[in-house]
Amino acid sequence: MMFDLSFLNMCSSRVLEFDLDIIQCVDESKLKWTSFHLTDKWSALCKESLRLSRISEFLLLNPLYIIRIMHMLHVEALQILLQGLCGVPKDRVRVHEFCLKSGPNLGVVPSEVRLLCDLAQPTPTWTVRHAGGAMRGAGAEQLSVLVRSVVESKVSNNALRFFYAVGYKLDHELLKIGFAFRFQRVVPITVTVTSANRMPRLHAIDDAVPLTPGIQLVEITAPAAGDNYNEVAAAVSSFCEYLVPLLHLSKPGVSTGIVPTAAAAASSLLSNSGGKAI
Amino acid sequence: MPVKWLMHWQPNQGSTLSSQVLAEVCQCVEGFGAAAKDRKWRTTLTFYRPMARDSAAAPVSDVPRDLLGIALHDRPSAYFFILRHHRIILQADANVQLLMDKLQSYKARVVLHFEGSQYQLGDFQLRVGKCGPSMSETLRGIMMEVEYLPLSSIEKSRPIMEAFFDIWHETITKASLPGHFVISDSNFSDYGLQDYYSPQHTSLQYATCIAQLMSAGRS
Repeated sequence: MMFDLSFLNMCSSRVLEFDLDIIQCVDESKLKWTSFHLTDKWSALCKESLRLSRISEFLLLNPLYIIRIMHMLHVEALQILLQGLCGVPKDRVRVHEFCLKSGPNLGVVPSEVRLLCDLAQPTPTWTVRHAGGAMRGAGAEQLSVLVRSVVESKVSNNALRFFYAVGYKLDHELLKIGFAFRFQRVVPITVTVTSANRMPRLHAIDDAVPLTPGIQLVEITAPAAGDNYNEVAAAVSSFCEYLVPLLHLSKPGVSTGIVPTAAAAASSLLSNSGGKAI
Repeated sequence: MPVKWLMHWQPNQGSTLSSQVLAEVCQCVEGFGAAAKDRKWRTTLTFYRPMARDSAAAPVSDVPRDLLGIALHDRPSAYFFILRHHRIILQADANVQLLMDKLQSYKARVVLHFEGSQYQLGDFQLRVGKCGPSMSETLRGIMMEVEYLPLSSIEKSRPIMEAFFDIWHETITKASLPGHFVISDSNFSDYGLQDYYSPQHTSLQYATCIAQLMSAGRS
């Protein structure tokens, strides 16, 4: 049985837990989605091999899947690594994000705000967020991190109605699903690992589908003031060094490839933890 | 949160507002036996106007021109936006003002302060204040905040507040002051506010109070 499918979709935020009779895949070259049933010996072997403890056997049988599965393994391994480094339990992330833009002619400049509805809480809570432009200049370029001003404010749950009323329009909405670790390491640091999901119809979060299947966004952020951002940048960069076996984090806008050690590091982390993320 | 009622001063026909009137109102409060507290209070109200992209072009249309921002003296960490036409009260953290500045879509045009002295009278806390533009001594109005500490239900407090208001009205009349206080009645249910009193109720009361003060000033 030959597959021209080179990707395994992460159908949920639980890595490597599939409805294993049907695997959805995308052919990257054609951007085509296909579902197929696993039958006969491939089915049994696939299911078994997709379990972490048998990953090496699977790799031998079907090299097409090596890289992509490793990507998914990385997320699981990243959780384990972060759990060990941070010493705090992870927080579930499930945020409905509304990107609002000012209507035509409103405002001295066009503006954008994001409304974030935290669905991980028993009662959804709302936050409005505005991010300014990145700090520029020679000093900024030397930093390994992006520095920009961000204002966030908790708001009551009629915030969307309010911003519509004052002339803002919905540009797009996303559902971000994943996890976060919030801890203190010289400064308060937040590591967020999320996938972005789009909604086929307005506000239809139950039908959200991944925007970039199999690809997660890893963000490391820390608050800073005007007079200490160098120290904060150093603390963030220093923490990022601990993640180097698995991934290289870079300034937004600068892409990195897959880390050569990632596969081995991920396997090691997973086998040490018994194949289960905490 | 204890219930508050707001009252604004309605001057008699032909009389003017002055700091003398304010001083005499304070004397009436102290005559009640109310004990003056050391701390002053201040609630700030800001009128926002929409900004057009090109200042030479026509003003931006289809956006509200009645956006009001309120910082309450007893909620320094919060800020309230009110859209009266849309019947919306948005409660936010105090730094939402900074966010609004950064958006540059609405600009603060007029800032008014309600400020003055506060008094304790049994289960009541009274705040007598003047209303005027920031950075100016101009007096735009006089108002009072009457807070009844034991109750949080607006309806349950109504008979007590009305009884207080009757006694207060009688006191003002006997002192022959050139005017009287009028209760600033707000339509809470229009804004979806419930019977249980909250800072959102207070913010709406200040928005109503300033509208009524401005109307009293015009007539």
